[in-house]
Amino acid sequence: MSSVISPAIQRERRVKLFFFLVALLGLFLVITQTPNLLISFLLALVTHSFLAPVVDFLERKRLPRVLAVSAPFLITALVIGLSLNFFLPTLLIQLNELQVSLPKYFSTASGLLTRLELQVNTRIAQIYPLDIRGTIEPYIVQFTEGFVKKLPSLLSNSLTVLVLTPFLAFFMLLDGRDFIRRLLTLVPNNVFELALNLNYQVMTQISGFIRARVIEGLLIAMIIWMGLLYLDFPYSLLLASFAGLINIIPYVGPLLGAIPAVIIHLANSGQSQELIWLLAIYGGAQIIDTALIVPFIVAKIVDLHPVVVVLAVIIGAQTMGILGMIISIPLFSALKVSFSAIYQHMTDFRS
Amino acid sequence: MVEFIWNSLLKNEKATLRKLLKSNILFQDLNPFELSLVENIVNVRNYRPGENIFRQGEVGVGMYIILSGSVTIFVEEIQENSQTAFNSKHTAVTHLKATDFFGELALVEDESRRSASASAHEETILVGFFKPDLLEIISRNPSAGVKILTRLSEVLGLRLRQTTARITELKRELKK
Repeated sequence: MSSVISPAIQRERRVKLFFFLVALLGLFLVITQTPNLLISFLLALVTHSFLAPVVDFLERKRLPRVLAVSAPFLITALVIGLSLNFFLPTLLIQLNELQVSLPKYFSTASGLLTRLELQVNTRIAQIYPLDIRGTIEPYIVQFTEGFVKKLPSLLSNSLTVLVLTPFLAFFMLLDGRDFIRRLLTLVPNNVFELALNLNYQVMTQISGFIRARVIEGLLIAMIIWMGLLYLDFPYSLLLASFAGLINIIPYVGPLLGAIPAVIIHLANSGQSQELIWLLAIYGGAQIIDTALIVPFIVAKIVDLHPVVVVLAVIIGAQTMGILGMIISIPLFSALKVSFSAIYQHMTDFRS
Repeated sequence: MVEFIWNSLLKNEKATLRKLLKSNILFQDLNPFELSLVENIVNVRNYRPGENIFRQGEVGVGMYIILSGSVTIFVEEIQENSQTAFNSKHTAVTHLKATDFFGELALVEDESRRSASASAHEETILVGFFKPDLLEIISRNPSAGVKILTRLSEVLGLRLRQTTARITELKRELKK
């Protein structure tokens, strides 16, 4: 019955905490430093977030855990396989065509920037000349080239990712909770409840976020794909997939998603009627997203201040490129939950 | 040989844990299948003599069952000695032994704060059962979840009746 902790207990707590942090750091380093493991881990986390409720449902129907994991896993693998079989050839053809036409689109984007720079400099920037093209062009080149070149390798050529993702997802579903439980045994007693609760809150937030954002991205991609197909616009599937994926980035995502289509339009025909249709499709998808999808599907997402969102996206982009931009928001949401829970525990724990 | 001893020890520990869970009021209605689910979910923690399990005012997320050893529950009162110095006074409320449990209010209350502190009186092994564990059971086996929640309501009702009786008793004493 004391609030004074003996030195032996303090030492034991420090040792336990040290080993727990070393284990966490080791896991983090293995995941981030092993080639292909980070992307496989993230995709496995997405699969896990979608299948976990199904696995729990099957377990409620008295199916043993192994079968409850295997059944939806096999069905999902079949559905994904069939979808890839249907969509991948079109996607790869469109990617190859895009790679061939890329120089044309670069020069269009470059010309646009030059014209913009000229107009700005003649009208308002006599005192302070702006180098818009020189500033923005490297980003566009890096962004477009990087995305176009990396996407096919991520989707189809990276055999490691294709093998690792289902493997990791299967074991996350089967033994993930046990693994976390074992990891938590390393946590010292004085912070055990905090760590357990934190893990639960963070996992619930991340799973909800992933589920909501993936459904939202798929719906956005489908709306844009149908619109572009109706317009008979080139690379419809590729552009729709890109828009759906990049939509995960708040505020700037929808804008970035529309840029490639506008550039392709300007390089190909430049007809103003088509541009209006194009903007209507992308704008319409955003209106549907804001008015219908976000209130009903994305309601679980943690509220982050717009300034924090922009900062998170910039930091993500600086450190890990496009992948960093996509994962920055769920990562910051998890950090926000962790930080506020730890802060509350350390400062406000006395009534 | 080492493996045999290790497995025997683990089996022994598992058997003790199962026996303890089965004897606890919260889990006594569970069938062997549901009990093995709980067994795999609960957290076994070791405490040194004098080590705090939780402190008054902290946010609590669950309850503990004593597997072995004993636990002292006490209330901490902060007393102001002078304008700058504070003194903490501890008053023991109860002393709990093996198979007893405490902290169950945190299982149902949101952002529940501990109403008293708990510390291990000797080398103590506790089985922690927390809100995330209860939610996992409800999600994976609702029937087991309902059985646990029904018993939990019974325990909380009993505690409420005991508190009401104690208040009435104290009021009577005050009137005298």
